[in-house]
Parts: sequence; C-alpha cells; structure tokens
Amino acid sequence: MTSVARSLPFPTEVIVGDKLSISIGPQHPGSGHFRIIVVLEGDIVSEAIPDPGYVHRGAEKMCEFRNFVQNVPMLERTTLPDANGIIFPYILAVEELMGIQAPPRAQYLRIISAELNRIVSHLYWLGIYGVFLGHSTMFLWPMGDRELFMDLIQTVGGTRVTPSYIIPGGARNDLPDNFKDKALKAFGYFERRLKEYDRIFFSNPLVLKRSQGVGVLKRSEAIALGITGPNLRGSGLKSDTRKDEPYSMYETLDFDIPSYPDGDCWARGMVRFHELYWSMQIIKQAVEKMPSGPFRSRLPLLTARAPAGEAVARTEAARGCMSYYVVSDGTSKPYRVRVSVPSFRNMIGIPYLLKGGHLADVPAIYWSLDYWPVEADK
Amino acid sequence: MSLVRGVFVAFVTALRQLFRRRMTLRYPEEKLEIEGEGFQYDAKKAIGIPGYKGRHILFLDKCTGCQLCSIACENIADCIEMVTVEKKDFPAWVVPKQLAAAATFPQNKKSLWPQIDFGSCVFCGFCVDACPFDALYMTNEYELTSYTKEGLIFTPTQLAIPPKEVGKTVKFQVEEMEAYHG
Ligand code: SF4
Ligand code: SF4
Repeated sequence: MTSVARSLPFPTEVIVGDKLSISIGPQHPGSGHFRIIVVLEGDIVSEAIPDPGYVHRGAEKMCEFRNFVQNVPMLERTTLPDANGIIFPYILAVEELMGIQAPPRAQYLRIISAELNRIVSHLYWLGIYGVFLGHSTMFLWPMGDRELFMDLIQTVGGTRVTPSYIIPGGARNDLPDNFKDKALKAFGYFERRLKEYDRIFFSNPLVLKRSQGVGVLKRSEAIALGITGPNLRGSGLKSDTRKDEPYSMYETLDFDIPSYPDGDCWARGMVRFHELYWSMQIIKQAVEKMPSGPFRSRLPLLTARAPAGEAVARTEAARGCMSYYVVSDGTSKPYRVRVSVPSFRNMIGIPYLLKGGHLADVPAIYWSLDYWPVEADK
Repeated sequence: MSLVRGVFVAFVTALRQLFRRRMTLRYPEEKLEIEGEGFQYDAKKAIGIPGYKGRHILFLDKCTGCQLCSIACENIADCIEMVTVEKKDFPAWVVPKQLAAAATFPQNKKSLWPQIDFGSCVFCGFCVDACPFDALYMTNEYELTSYTKEGLIFTPTQLAIPPKEVGKTVKFQVEEMEAYHG
C-alpha cells in the first residue's frame, strides 16, 4: 500500500555529478521546525526546496470540534509571539456571522493588544535575524527589550503569551488603571533605544555589507508571487490591510506605512524596524481616543450560536495579511474554518530568493522573510 | 558613513550598555513582583477584572457544584474534573470560618467540586468567565512544578488554599535609558 501523505524524501544520492544536497533543518541549525533541501554547486545554491509540514497539527480540523469561543485559545497557539494579531480576523469573521458588533471601546482594546503583539513579534524576529547575521548583541538587546512589551501584554491580558484576550463580542477585560503610565514610560525608553538599534545594527557597515543587495525581490516579482506583509513593503509596495481595508478603528488613527524600494534583506529589515516605531504611535493614539463605555457584549460563552452562513475577514498580522473563512451550519460549533496565513504565502519566496545565492546567505535571506513554520503548517 | 567610523559608532553604542543596570531577573533568588490579585470575573456585570492568570483559587463558600467551569474547559484542555468531597474530608483550616460548624456546605448539597489538572491547563481563564457564582478566580502563583504528573492535579482542597508567599520579589523598572529588574 502506498502512503497518500507525501513528504519530500531526502535525495538518495547526496552527491550527483558536481552537485551536493544538504538538508537545513528541521531541528534547528537555522530554520526552526522547517526543512529546506539545498542543492549546491560549490558555494552557490542551484536549487532550494522548502519542505513544510513538520509541525502540522490540523488546526482547521480541530476548530470543528470546539465552539466559537473555545476555538480562541487553540487558534492562538499557531503563532505564539503574535497571538492577538492572528486571532483578530477570526474574531471579526465570527462576529460578522453572528451579526454582532463589538462596542467601540473593545475595538480600540483590540488594536492595542494586536499592536503590542506586533512589536513583540518583530523584536523576536530582530533577535533571531541579528544572531544569524553573526551579531549576537542584536540577539540580546531585542530579547531583553521585548520584556517591556511582554510585561504590557501581561498587564492587559493576564499572560505573557496567548492571553486569549480578544473574543467574539469584545475584549475580556478593560485596561488596568496603570496601563497608560506604564505604556508611555516603556515607549519613551524604547523610542530612545531604537536610535541605538539603528547605530549598532541597521546602519552598521558590517551588517550593511551582509544584507544590502542580498536576496533581492523586485516589486513586480513580489506582486506576481503573492508575497505579503513587511516583505511586500520591503519590495516597494505600500500595501497594508490596515490602510487598504481599514477594520476595527484603524481608520481613525494616524500612522504611516513604511516601505523601501530596494527589495533586499536590509529593506525588509528596515520595514520592520520602522513598524516598531509606528506600532507604538498607534497604541498611544488608541489609548487617547478610546471612548469610555462597555467593552464586552453579553455573549453566552458556552452556547453562542451563529446562524447558518459564511463570513470572511482579513487583517494585517505581524507577518502579513491574515484571513479566516468561517462557515456555520447554525450550531454552536463552526462547520468549517479555513485559515490563510501570511507565512505560507511568503514561503514561495524562499526557493525563489535562495537560488543563485551563496550558502552563507541562506540564513540571512531565510530570516529576513520572517517565516514562522508553525504558523505556515497550522 | 565610512567603514571605520560606522564600526566605531556601533562599538561605542554597545560599550555604553556596560554601565547600565542589568535586565536579567536573577530567578530563583529573586522573583518578579506581579501586580494585582490575579484574573477575576464579575459575573453580575459580565466583565473580567484584569490580573495575572496563574493557578486557580476555589472559594468553598461560593461554589455550588454547577459544573459550568468543567463544561467551559471541555474542548479547551479538558482539565477540570468534577469530584465529590464531603465536608468532613476537607481539613478544618481550609473551610471558611462561618461554615466551620455546619455539617455540609449549604450551597453545595451534592458536594461536587472542580479538580484541575495543571499538567494540561493552558491558563486561558475561560472557566473563570463561565462561573456564575464568582467561586473560581485565578491567582498570581505560577510555580507549579512537581516530580510526577499526578502531582499537578490539584484537588479541591489544594485549590482552596490561598497562594503561598514567594519570598523576595523585585519590580521590573523602566527609566530614561535603562530597563532593569530590581
Ligand atoms: S484556565 Fe485551565 S482550567 Fe480554566 S478553562 Fe482554561 S484550560 Fe481549562
Ligand atoms: S467553580 Fe463555579 S462554575 Fe465551577 S462548579 Fe463551582 S460554582 Fe460551578
């Protein structure tokens, strides 16, 4: 009997002619829970084959056995550093299905939690990107400063990761009284700190040599491949769901979408670097603009039903455009949930960008894409 | 920026860090101070009260044994099991004072209580949201290690005990140019 599930076998012949195949990953050196089979000719990559699926858990199928609210803690777990960001579209889709709308205060609370998670996610990325470029200070600093924002997430949502903070119908709890002071203090420190990040890393000539002109993705190619998120903006296209199709209350906030025309590893990094700054500005404005009032509608937690129908929602998560398609058959559990994750859409860039480059550039290019295997495998 | 100048600037920037206080929390000698009393839920107003989501606390004078917490957890982590514990089986010091003389818990005739397996709990707090009698809250306790898997199953008696003192705690502090624990 032949197995239906197909996984890429490692080539039986490691050396064919003057080509050598090596496997990068799946258990670390450099790629997380994900394997790239790299075929080398000397030092040049002649082919790169991504092999996803190592951490596939069947999140979409699991959704069908839980009710609409119980799905929240489970779906958050696909991207731990961006838990609030990736659950956002699910919440919007379920609300559309149920025909309810979150109170305005809740919509701002969601923006705050999602932007905090964007900062945490980008700092986590910056740490790993830094260390794979051989800059270990850039590993320690972001990982340390991430603590500021983890602390803020804990103040709001109760846990450092996966707070299950936003649910259909609103947010679980209000901001604690000291949140504003704490946040402003942290942002003041971190804005000054970003200048140091720039001096030590983003305009450090050694890092520029390592990242400029490496893994260039042209604007037209990025569009053709369907790349999304900061990677697309790093190729010069100002495309962001928060601006293009404003959801929640993003239309009331004033922020900029950073974009760089170069399309190389450095440009993709700079986009995220500027997003750190803009996320803080968004949170500052949201805290100011937030109306007082209710923040949670009285939705029965255990028995909330959605009338039969379907709904789609998309938002901008830390890694790009994230969308959910939820079908209900009128019971308290979804009939089908389809998740479209940004990491999977960005994976197509990996073989494309690695080809023709040096083996030593593989980690730089791979990490500049901020690929998160668990998110892509679901 | 020339190569030499750029490297020099980066070097000086990194050097400054040496004179700042350390971010590192020296766990377990010192522990982080957590603000608040833990995540709680006001069932009347149907809103959560922000706080840390640590190990749960069960109030024996409020829980009616209605099982709603267990049903809420059913498809999340399946870690709440309802168990029967008679009043006489609780150690006298966990029983609230005003009920010390009574033969049974008046609000919980069947003596059914939740028992939580912290080996699989994900600390989402939806059981707290589900409790209609404010009988289940969360606390700031997060040190829940055990040598066995069974040791992580907290019986109603263990859940009723308030969190233990953690010893020396430090605050996470942010200043102009440094963030540190201390
Ligand atoms: S906090 Fe733990 S016990 Fe409560 S619902 Fe979540 S997983 Fe279950
Ligand atoms: S803790 Fe609350 S929800 Fe659980 S059985 Fe007791 S009263 Fe019911």
